[in-house]
Amino acid sequence: MRTRLASALLLAAVLIAWEAWCRSGRVSALVLPAPSAVAGTLWGELASGRLWPHLRVTMTEMVLGLLAGTVLGLGAGILLSEWPSLHRVLRPYVLASQLVPKLALGPLLILWFGFGLTPIVVITALICFFPLFENTLTGLDQVEPAQRELFRMLGAGRVRTLLRLKLPSALPVILAGFRVAIVLALVGAVVGEFVGGRQGLGASIIAAQSVMDSSLILALFVVITALGMAVYEAARGLEALILRRYARD
Amino acid sequence: MPSDAHLILDGVRYRFPGDPLETVAGVDWAIPRGAIHCLLGRSGCGKTTLLKLAAGLIVPDEGRVRIDGKPLRGPAPGVGVVFQAPTLLAWLSALDNVLLPVSLKRRPQAPDRAAARDLLAAMGLGDLAERRPAALSGGQQSRVAMARALVTEPGLLLLDEPFAALDALTREELQDDLLRLCASRGTAALFVTHDIAEAAYLGDRVGVMAAGRLVHDGAVPLPRPRPPGIRYDPAFGAVCRSLRAIMDGAAPAIGRAA
Repeated sequence: MRTRLASALLLAAVLIAWEAWCRSGRVSALVLPAPSAVAGTLWGELASGRLWPHLRVTMTEMVLGLLAGTVLGLGAGILLSEWPSLHRVLRPYVLASQLVPKLALGPLLILWFGFGLTPIVVITALICFFPLFENTLTGLDQVEPAQRELFRMLGAGRVRTLLRLKLPSALPVILAGFRVAIVLALVGAVVGEFVGGRQGLGASIIAAQSVMDSSLILALFVVITALGMAVYEAARGLEALILRRYARD
Repeated sequence: MPSDAHLILDGVRYRFPGDPLETVAGVDWAIPRGAIHCLLGRSGCGKTTLLKLAAGLIVPDEGRVRIDGKPLRGPAPGVGVVFQAPTLLAWLSALDNVLLPVSLKRRPQAPDRAAARDLLAAMGLGDLAERRPAALSGGQQSRVAMARALVTEPGLLLLDEPFAALDALTREELQDDLLRLCASRGTAALFVTHDIAEAAYLGDRVGVMAAGRLVHDGAVPLPRPRPPGIRYDPAFGAVCRSLRAIMDGAAPAIGRAA
C-alpha cells in the first residue's frame, strides 16, 4: 500500500514538474506539449470516437498475431523437442529466421499480402513465435529424467508422456514465454503499422508526426502503454489461474 | 537356479556406451515368488544398473532377464518400481499420484479409487489423500511413491534406495510398512540399498555387489516376521557384522552360503 502511494506520488511529481516547465515558456509546445494539453487531446480523441477504430485495429492485429505466433511457437517447440534429430537439422534456420530484423521484412510482406491487416499480423506472429518456441523447448527438455523413466516403466507412450508429464511440467516456463510474447505482440503490431499500416495506433502516430502534432503522439503513447499494461495483467491473471491447477504446492 | 522363480537374472552383462569397463559384469540371481532380496553395495558398484536391467529399462548386452518365465524385451509390465527420489507429479494430489499407473491406461473407476485410498490409509496417509506433494514431508512422499508402485498389485517390486534420503526413524517405519504390505500381498521385492542394517532387516537373502559382480549371496538367518525390536538383537548385529566383513573383503570370489 505504502509503495503504491509512493509510486503514485512520484508520477504526480513528474507531471507537475513537466507542466511547470512547459508553462515557464522555456520550451515550445511543438517540441514538448504540457501534460494538460496531452490530456486534453486524449479526451478529445476518446470523446469524438476517433480513437476507437484505431484501437480496435491494433488490438485485432495483436491478438491474431499473438495467437498465430503462440500456436506456431508451441507447435514447433513440441515438435523439435520430441524429435531431437529434426531439432539439430532445423535449429540454425530457426535462429536465422529470428535474427532477420522483422521490420526489414515489412516491405516484402506488403508486396506479398498488400497493405492492411495481414502483413502486420504476420510480423507480429513472427515476433511472438520465438519466446514461445524457446521456452517450450527449454521447458520440455527440463523434465526430470527419473520421471521420464517412471512413465516408461508405466508403459506410457510418446503422446501420453507429452500430455501427462512433459507439458504440465513445462507449463510455468511456457507461460513465462507467453508473457514475453504478449509484450512483444503490442510492439510488433504498433511498429508494424509504422511500416505498412493505414489504420491503428502505430499508423496514427505516423499520421500525427506528418502534421507535427506532438500532443497527439504523446496521447497515443498513453493509450498504447495502457493497452500493454491491461493485456499484460490479463495474461498474469490467466497464468495464475492455470498455474493454480498445475501448481507445485 | 529355481525355474519357477519370479525374477531370474541369467548371466546378465551391461556396459554403458563409451565406458571401458562393464557396469554389470555377469550376474546370475533369482528371486522366488513372495521373497524379498536385498542387493547391497557401495555407490557405483552397479546395483542401480542391475535394477534397471531387471526392470527392463535397459537391455543387457549379454544374458537374459526373465519375469514369470517370460524373457524381458522392454519395460516390464506388472512390475512396480520405486526410485531413489519419490518422483511424484507436483500438480497431482497424493491420491491422483497413487492412481497414476491406472490413469495412464484408462479412466480410474470407483474400485481403483477405493484401492488407492486403502493403500494410503494402510500407510497412515488416509487424511492426506487430497494434498499435493509439496505439502507432504519427505517420508510421506516416499510412502505415496510406494503406494503408487503397489496400486496395480504387482507380483514384483523393484526398489532403488527408496528411503536413503530419510531420517533414521522414518526409514525404520517405512521398512516396516514395506514388510507388512509385501507379506500381506505376497509381493516379491528386489531392494537395492547401501545400508547394511536395512538389507539385513528387510531381506530373506542379501546379495553383495562389487565392481559389477555379485560377490556374495546368502540367506539372512533371522525369523519372519521380523519384530522391529530385532534390530537391537545380538543375532541381528552378527548378521550386519558378517555383511560388513564381506563388503570390506570385496575379494570378488562368489561365496554361496545356504
